[in-house]
Amino acid sequence: MVKGLRTMWTNVWAVAFKEGALMRRDKVLIGVSVVQPIMFLFLFGVALTSKPANVPWIVLDQSQSSYSRRLIAEVQASGYFLPARTVASYDDGHGMLHRGEALALVVVPHDFHRDVLRGRGEVQILLDGADPLSAARIGAYIRAIAASVAMGREQLAAAPAPVELRQRFLFNHTLDDRHFLLASLAGMLLTNVTLSLAAFGLVAEREEGTYEQMLSLPTTPLEIVLGKLLPTVFLCYAVLVLAILLPGLAFGIWPAGSLFALALFTLPFVLASLGLGVFVSTLAATVAQAIFISVFFIMPSFVLSGAMMPHQLMPDVPRHIGALMPLRWYQIGIRRIITRGGGLDDVVVPFLALSGFFALMLVFIRLRSRPRLA
Amino acid sequence: MSLRRLRTLILREIRATLRDPFTLFVLVAVPLGSLLAFGFVVSTEVEGIPLGVFDGARSELSRRIVAELTTHPAFEARSYVRRDELSSALINGDIGVGIIIPSDFERARARSASGDEPAQIQLLYDGAEAVLAANAEGFLRGITAAALREHAGADIGIARVEAAASMTAAGGGVGSSVRVLFNPTLDGRPYMVAGTFGFVLSFLTTLITAVSIVNERIGGTFEQLQLTPATSLEIVLGKLLPLGAVFSFDVLVMMLAASWVLDAWPSGSALLFWSIASFYVVTSLAMGLIFSATSATAAEAVQKTVLFSIPLVQLSGFVYPIRNMPEPVQWVSMILPATHFINVSRSIYLRGEGVAELWPEMLVIVGFGIALVVLARRTLESRE
Repeated sequence: MVKGLRTMWTNVWAVAFKEGALMRRDKVLIGVSVVQPIMFLFLFGVALTSKPANVPWIVLDQSQSSYSRRLIAEVQASGYFLPARTVASYDDGHGMLHRGEALALVVVPHDFHRDVLRGRGEVQILLDGADPLSAARIGAYIRAIAASVAMGREQLAAAPAPVELRQRFLFNHTLDDRHFLLASLAGMLLTNVTLSLAAFGLVAEREEGTYEQMLSLPTTPLEIVLGKLLPTVFLCYAVLVLAILLPGLAFGIWPAGSLFALALFTLPFVLASLGLGVFVSTLAATVAQAIFISVFFIMPSFVLSGAMMPHQLMPDVPRHIGALMPLRWYQIGIRRIITRGGGLDDVVVPFLALSGFFALMLVFIRLRSRPRLA
Repeated sequence: MSLRRLRTLILREIRATLRDPFTLFVLVAVPLGSLLAFGFVVSTEVEGIPLGVFDGARSELSRRIVAELTTHPAFEARSYVRRDELSSALINGDIGVGIIIPSDFERARARSASGDEPAQIQLLYDGAEAVLAANAEGFLRGITAAALREHAGADIGIARVEAAASMTAAGGGVGSSVRVLFNPTLDGRPYMVAGTFGFVLSFLTTLITAVSIVNERIGGTFEQLQLTPATSLEIVLGKLLPLGAVFSFDVLVMMLAASWVLDAWPSGSALLFWSIASFYVVTSLAMGLIFSATSATAAEAVQKTVLFSIPLVQLSGFVYPIRNMPEPVQWVSMILPATHFINVSRSIYLRGEGVAELWPEMLVIVGFGIALVVLARRTLESRE
């Protein structure tokens, strides 16, 4: 019995060694495992953000008073906007909005000065609704700035009781998109790596005939599977380390929670994704097919999982479809650990979901298992 | 260049494709599916954000505020009996935002009238969901401030706790009325659909081309082609034109599907859009050809395509506005063909612009197309 276990272990190591050697020589794989993280880091850390910047805006100042100039200066000082341009007429402004030359037009009415002194100052904000999210956000900013500008206080007869709205952004003081996007970095990279390795690798092997070669060796299927798993999982953890180091070194964004929980939580995700990849490989006859099926899975999972855009905002049906993907559960859990500083007890549900997914994949693979030497 | 030879190559290509129904399915289904997925799923409507409410004051004013928030479609309000329960829910991510009206709110208001510190309402956001929080911020702040102004005539100050200079309670703040032009329902779908065309016609077309050509090279049939009297240009065109025709048909299908399912149809000339899109496809196909010509295996071609296409798509303004990017990055974005196509696409779909306004961008796209076809031909020649 003990001898049997030892044979099994050496067999597993033999397969693992062979796989590892192959991987080391696979320049494409190495290039991807190193280049992709850096590329994503650049995109999500530097380039991409939904936080408005360089917003072109125009002002129709019909009052030309000190108060209107003050308001314009305050909006400008917020830093989101390009220097304001003035328009002479409503039609001009409307035309510029229509052509997309400006996102917002602020119309200051003629009696603005007098209205402010009476405590009733009001401006009109017109927005280009083509991109509604940006429009809503810019409109809200201008509105809030206008509401908080202290003007004409001295003139007010009776000062009503003021109320202060204090805002706090937990875990992410400056409300950078960066935190949100970089937290999903590990998930996205791992999805790419696991699906590529499992799907292409297996199918390519089958095409090249090395699969049959392996079956004819004295190793059992279990040993082969374990042997293939070892270097793959090792590579995944290397990618995970990279996904944590890079945002930390580049932007000072380190995981707030337990690293141990992070490492442990990654395991069922890696297994689930690998299982998915292996299952995909059973569906594909050629490498081309495997590629397309993987793309079918990878692309929607980036979108539907909530890794790049909030899944809470999605309509019901797509949101539920997204729940069937491993990446959804992983990114929920990883945000709890990395950004919110949680531990193992916070990710129990996603952990179980991912383990369940892995088990399900094993069943599917078994069902679709081809005969030994087709 | 011989037209007869070109025609033969094209016919061969068509026959080969028809023999593989899987490829045909992929050629049509994948772009269509992506369009629907992105356009439908990436809803830019802010709706149903879980909002935690703690009303410790239970005064007329606080109830009014809660009522306004509860009835607004942007939020799905849940009330909490205890403050720490709300905090836990926020930390767990069960709720995305929270509003806390302390129990001594009315007393604080009375005190502040006689010169004391202003009364406070706390707005908390789950910063881990940064995008969600940012979207929620405008609504939460706006609705609460408006409710306070209306029902209590109170002066509102907005203070950000972490900010260096906090804008505390100010008197005489300026109100504003907001109107959204051109899209009063704030429907984000035409915007997304126009952008998704850019994504599909950049990434997917390049990918599919790269893979199918690499397969041919592995199969050896590509070398056979190069042994024939056909010139490199003819071989390139013989591959690109039939594939281009299929994708052009795809564009038509996508336009119709977007109109039917997503209610998004170009407000400008549909014909103009379709022609530009069809030409743009050639650009992506040429890139796919270049990737496959420089790759030994299908996997390598795929990785190259993916590695190149991801930044191409992300920097093209597909999801994240180019204007938000740092300036040097914006320059990079300008040299990507996808950026210009998405500009044109959105101009036609959203603003109804035509050739008169768009001809500079169209020229750029044509330029890219020609340059890439030339590059593809040169790459093939250097491999002989």
